[in-house]
Amino acid sequence: MKKVIKKWFPYLLLTPALLYYILFWIRPVIRAFAESFTDLEGNVSLVNYIAIIKDPIFKEAFLNSAGFAAVSVILQFVLAFMLALLLNKKFKGVNLLLFIALIPMAVPPTAVAVLWKTGFSSFGWINNMLYRFNIITEPIKWLTVEGVNALGFLVLIDTWTVLPSVMIILLAGLQNLNKEYEEAACVFGATKWQVIKDITIPILKPTIVTAIILRMIAAIQVWMISVMMFGYGRVPFLVERIAYYTDVVSEIDTSYKTSLAYSVLVTVIVLVSATIYLRINSKKGSE
Amino acid sequence: MKAKKAMLKAVFYIIIATILIAVLVPFLSFLVTAFYSADEVYNIPRPFLPKFSYDVKVEYKDDMYYLSVYEDGLEDFELKIYSGKAEKLRRYLQTKYSVWLTDEELLEDFSPAKSGETLYLNYKKDLLYNFKTFFSITNGADKSVLNSIIAAGWTILISLSIGSMAGYSIARFRIKFKKQINMSLLLVRMFPAVAVAIPMLVILIKMGFANTMLGLAIVYSVGNIALTAWITNSIFKGISVELEEASLVFGANRIQTFFKITLPLAFPGLVACSMYAFLAAWNDSITALILANSNPTLSLLIYKAIGMSGEIQLAAAGAVILITPALIFTFIIKNYINQLWGDVKF
Repeated sequence: MKKVIKKWFPYLLLTPALLYYILFWIRPVIRAFAESFTDLEGNVSLVNYIAIIKDPIFKEAFLNSAGFAAVSVILQFVLAFMLALLLNKKFKGVNLLLFIALIPMAVPPTAVAVLWKTGFSSFGWINNMLYRFNIITEPIKWLTVEGVNALGFLVLIDTWTVLPSVMIILLAGLQNLNKEYEEAACVFGATKWQVIKDITIPILKPTIVTAIILRMIAAIQVWMISVMMFGYGRVPFLVERIAYYTDVVSEIDTSYKTSLAYSVLVTVIVLVSATIYLRINSKKGSE
Repeated sequence: MKAKKAMLKAVFYIIIATILIAVLVPFLSFLVTAFYSADEVYNIPRPFLPKFSYDVKVEYKDDMYYLSVYEDGLEDFELKIYSGKAEKLRRYLQTKYSVWLTDEELLEDFSPAKSGETLYLNYKKDLLYNFKTFFSITNGADKSVLNSIIAAGWTILISLSIGSMAGYSIARFRIKFKKQINMSLLLVRMFPAVAVAIPMLVILIKMGFANTMLGLAIVYSVGNIALTAWITNSIFKGISVELEEASLVFGANRIQTFFKITLPLAFPGLVACSMYAFLAAWNDSITALILANSNPTLSLLIYKAIGMSGEIQLAAAGAVILITPALIFTFIIKNYINQLWGDVKF
């Protein structure tokens, strides 16, 4: 009897987690998937997806999400990597600098939006500062930007917020790095750039992949900063549409189904892009 | 060579200055906004620091008080409002300049002007005016703070209990499908929250948990159980089995060993897990928007507040309250970042 308990004890410990995931993860996800393929009467149909694709704002939202993800991930990775290399050095005050550099990471997304709204509104602190340094004489209306410029705006704000979290993952990787390889390369006359390119980056690759994939997943799901800066529909994103259908037009019968279909789309896009990225990487790695 | 070194040094300091400016200028400017009065917020150029008091000039003509306020830009008093009603004047001073007065106090201060003399008064601005007002005018603001805390509490409770059991099991025992379990935990963490939140709406309504904080916590816990399992797995791995065995040799049973030896050693890691769970609940707004729109958390409330009113300094005050615990907890757990995604090999 005791032996049986001992054998099953580890599985007993796993059971609550398993049950939880069946009930609150697998079940809702399957349900979302199934329901998104039915119409309001419950018949199997593609009507929700057809409605989304016919909606011109979908194309815009898709392109914005894709563009935002691509540009912000590359920009953030490059900047974060340079920052991590700098902060990995030993110099006076590096800990204080690290502490300050990490502040934006701790600001909740809603507060980030408020923070930049207090900056970019006509009477915001950015105009005030430009005014006081005699750079402008009339307030600039930052929030009237359109199209690509507005998207660029959001990339910059997002970068301000998430740069520290990308940087700290890379920094943790750098600090675990065995310094001897780099030192050996230096002894053999490699330049600093060669050391980074041929030693640091290859060894750090698992960390880099982790950092990039996390950013990618989060970037595809960006929405709130756009709504809080510009309102619904100005710079639409995929998840912004979900918020729109739940927050603004929730009383329309089809809204629930439409947001379900959107959530399935977002999930598929996230999983597919993560898989593609990992595939490309493992291929490169085996060469 | 020397010139090159000096240039490198200059570049180095420029980069450091850029980092400091890029982080501190927005952050501090935003903090200051939460302490501006309505008058200051809509005044450009304004001083970088909020005012602490206002100089006021009061004159009395034709049964009415003429109220002027000193403007730094003009370097003179400017007439703002005239009225015979104390209530109107009091309200003006309060909403525009964050000055609290009762009608009686105002009349007592102003009445000497009736004799024809010009009064010069100095009123202290209430620096916490925006914070107080955010709570008094935003519907359900007090409740939203409580809601956020309750949602976070449930999330911690659920994910810590279920997640740490799983983490302990994976770390301590030889179990089948370990690799698959680890991969699924990772997959759960990467899953978009909306994919779970929207279908959960119907499930929660059936369970009677719609618009409740427990309902929200159930969704937050999906990702956090996996995270907790992941972190505790590496923590329990780090606690040597020999220590536990020694305790068993000395006659303690398994449960005693767990509570007297393993748990205290794992405690800091468990605290970190709790803080992650707290932050997940505290920072979220999309799940709250979908599942608890009519009973909002603080984060959701601020999201809504910025849409409806032009009073950005009030939203800023709310955001400062939202930031404070997030800032503290993030800095406490930042050393656990290594364990956030484990040493995952993709």
